[in-house]
Formats: sequence, C-alpha cells, structure tokens
Amino acid sequence: MTRLATRSLYFGRTALRGISASPVTSAVAVATIAVCLVLVGVFALLLFNMEGLLERFGGDLHVTAYLEPGLSVQRQRELADLAHSVEGVAAVRLVSEQEAFERFRSGVAHGAAYLDGLGENPLPASLEITLVPARQSAEGMTVVVESLDGLEGVEDLMSGHDWVEGYLRALALVRGLGVGLGAILADATLLIVANTIRLAVVARRDEIEILSLVGASPGFVRVPFLLEGLLQGAAGGAVALALLFGLFSLGLPGFAFGLELVLGGAVPNFFSGEQALALVGSGAFLGLLGAGGALAGGLRS
Amino acid sequence: MKFGRRLGRGAASLPGGDAAIRAYHVSKSYAAGSFALRDVSLEVGRGEFVFLTGPSGAGKTSLLKLLFAAEHPSEGQILVLGRNVARLGHRAIPDLRRRVGVVFQDFKLLERRTIEENVGLALDVVGMSRRDARAKVFAILKQLGLQHRRQHHPLSLSAGEQQRVAIARALVNEPEVLLADEPTGNLDPDLTVEIMDLIASAATRGTTVLVATHELGLVSRYGKRTVCLEGGRITEDSRPQGTTV
Repeated sequence: MTRLATRSLYFGRTALRGISASPVTSAVAVATIAVCLVLVGVFALLLFNMEGLLERFGGDLHVTAYLEPGLSVQRQRELADLAHSVEGVAAVRLVSEQEAFERFRSGVAHGAAYLDGLGENPLPASLEITLVPARQSAEGMTVVVESLDGLEGVEDLMSGHDWVEGYLRALALVRGLGVGLGAILADATLLIVANTIRLAVVARRDEIEILSLVGASPGFVRVPFLLEGLLQGAAGGAVALALLFGLFSLGLPGFAFGLELVLGGAVPNFFSGEQALALVGSGAFLGLLGAGGALAGGLRS
Repeated sequence: MKFGRRLGRGAASLPGGDAAIRAYHVSKSYAAGSFALRDVSLEVGRGEFVFLTGPSGAGKTSLLKLLFAAEHPSEGQILVLGRNVARLGHRAIPDLRRRVGVVFQDFKLLERRTIEENVGLALDVVGMSRRDARAKVFAILKQLGLQHRRQHHPLSLSAGEQQRVAIARALVNEPEVLLADEPTGNLDPDLTVEIMDLIASAATRGTTVLVATHELGLVSRYGKRTVCLEGGRITEDSRPQGTTV
C-alpha cells in the first residue's frame, strides 16, 4: 500500500472517529446544513423550472408584422428582405392573405362552413419573423419591432415582448431572493460547521498535543478536521436532497395552483443528476470551508 | 556560515565530537528578568545516558522543552541531532520530533484509544502501513511485556503499565534521542526501578537518553553522568569514575 493510501485511510478513520465521538454535535450540524440547503434548494428548483419554461417557449417567440391590405407583392418581398436584415433575425416567412385564410379555415374545423358566407378574405398578409436563439428575448424582440415600426406597408406589429419581459422580471426576483437567501444561509452553514469543528478541536486537544509531540505536521493534524467538515457538509447536502425529493414527490400536488401561475401549466422537473450532485457538493464545499475557517491559524503547538 | 562560526567558538570549550545534543550559553526567560535557564552549556554524546537533576523549578523541564522544540531559547543556540532548534521553522519541527522520543510524568495517553493505537500514533505520522505498524507495535509491546494488553484502554492499566505504554510510544519509531521528564514521578519505588531499567536499556541500544528527575536515590542507583541544575544554571556535571564522553 502506498504512503498516500495509508495516510488517506488514517485521515478517513480519524475523521469518522471524530464524528462518532460527538454524535449529537455532528447530527445537529448535519441537520442545520440540511435545512439551509433545503431552503436554497426550493429556490433553485423554482428557478430551474422557470428558466426551463422560458427555454421551452423561447423557440416559439416570434414577431408578426401585419401588412397593409392591397400591398403589392414586390413591396411585401421588400419588407420581408428588410426584416431579414435586422440584427438577430433568423428567418422571415411571408404569409399571403390566402394562406392566412386557409390557416384560419383549418383552425376552426367544424365552423369552416361559416367562412363561406364571407364575401372577401378579411385577413391581411403578414411576415412571421423568427429570431436566432440568442436573441429570443424581450430585448431581441424590441430590436425587431423598433426596426419595422412605421415602415410604409407595415400596419401593425405583434410580439410576446410584454409577456417575456414580465416573466423575466419574475425570474430575476426569484433569482435575487434565492441568491440573497443562499448567501445568508451559506454564512449560517459556515458558522455552524466552524463552531462544530472548533468544539471538536477543543475536545481533542490532548490528541492534537500528542500527535504534535510524536512528529505530526500541522497539515497531518488538520486534515482529519477538514475531512470531518467536508463529510458533515456532504451528509447535510444528501439529507437536503432526500428531503427536497420527498417534498417534490409528495408535497407538489398541494402547491399545484401556485405552480400553475408560475410555470404556466408546464410539468415541473426535479434536479438533474448533475444538479443533485452540485447540491451535495455545495454542502461538502461549505463544510470544508467552515472547517478551514475554524482551523485558520489555530493548531500550532 | 553565521551559525557555524558561533558553533565553533562554543564547541571549543565543550568536550566530545559526535554529540547528539549541544547547548551553547542557553537562556530562557518567560517574563522580563525571570530566567528559567541561564547561560546553560551542555553536550551529550550519542548513546550517552544522562540524568538531569535538581529541585523543582530548577529548569529541568524548561531545558527538555527546548530540546524537543516545544519552546525556543531566549538566548544561545541548541543543536539536537545536528539541527539548530533555536532556528527551526514550524515545518521542520515535526521532522526533528520523529527522531526524538519524549516521555512525561503524566503519560499523555489517549483514553479512548487502545494501547495498540496509542503506541501506533508515532507510526501513523510517518505514514507506515497499518500492517507494518501493527507488527512493530506488537514487537515493542512484547519487549515491554504488554503485548497481551494491546487491545485494552489506558485507564484499565496500572500506572506502571501506562508509563510503559508511553515509553513504547516514544521508542517505537526508534528515536535517536529519548527525553524523559520525571518519568517515575507518579510511580511507587518498585515500578520506578522497573521503568528506569526500561529507559536505561534504550541507551544500551545506542539511543541518547536524557532523564530529568529530582529523585537522587534513583540517580545514585544507576551511576550515570549527572547534570545538576539549580536556579536555571548548571551547578554540577559529574561523570561516573573511569568514564569519558
């Protein structure tokens, strides 16, 4: 066995021994970390689902420019070319009056017979303008609307600009709350882990002294404590993940109405594998950081 | 080299060439004007056994603390195994301590660890594999007659056995120097002799041994070199007749 493996085993054994030596303190630390991460996790879940919704609907976001009746085909094509040259436009489709009428007819199905009573086609020709993915946003649509607004032959412009803008504001609010809460709870987690490790250091001061006497380097003494913080953080993350999954699976029906408002009827998703790993990893990282803070400048003999 | 020049001047007044411990005009003060050690010069050869005697507060423990780099001298230089303890950085101290075993009056054993684990601590820090460490711990415990107690915890052992465990921990890494600070202070007379015999046997295997004690009866029983400290100064350095360093 290599020296590194021997040392790793020693550090692992010592860290686990440290945790089991003060089970109540360790359990309180893990539970507190878990509660903090559950709160952050709820915001993260909401945020990821809202972002996912925007991505799903983003492909459908487009601008429609309704053209004046009786506009020549040449002018219609000129306007289509002009629209295509606007920054962020991926494609422009010219929909003739006749095509618009046919679409409408197929859309109303059983009511199609009533359309036969119309003397002439009341629907205008239009340009359906699709944006490149990077510009499928309120800003991207604003650029297109402002470029075409007022041009000769363009009667009206429609876009999902207002809806997207409102949704983005809601998203920013959730993100802001999540980040703010996350920062506060991360501080609380750091404090809790740091205090737990400080208690462990005090409880094991004899061991630290003896290790130092037999030639242990400061790093050798510190590593088990850091590992202890990391393990407590990771355990807190894992518990938080399990609690979130339980809440998501069992508690979601109770929030169906609220979610309907926020997610617009889309089916909410739980964390992906990578996101779940990131939650546990962030717990471990906070644990490590807290332990590091507790030991900073502390163990010199 | 700056230190080399200082060393040369001090060494001229001290006997011996291949020394394990050399102290040159060492003083240690904890508060202004209050000296625990004052102008102490001492040389201990490799494999030599030396008693450090003197009344309580004479400076014995202070000198030992300087030798295993628990503290730095206020003045003077100390060489232990060729390393200048006075200038040893924090990173270098562990290396020195792996070569210097220390035994205390209060044993300093971990109550929650087994005897095997307590002794094995000295091997854990050097990264020895568990299998090798167990073999080595068994060997030293057997040598000290404690192999059957290796899975016990310190508090279930007698004081003499606990001190033997502490000696085993100090010796398991085969140190070049063994320092013992009142190792028999908590033991009855029979156990005192038993423990001192164990410590003395380390010297016969080439380990330099420095034992701080105030028990003069013990010192006379072994007839070894004796350095007497009083008020932080060396007042006597007597060698048994017919021996040289």
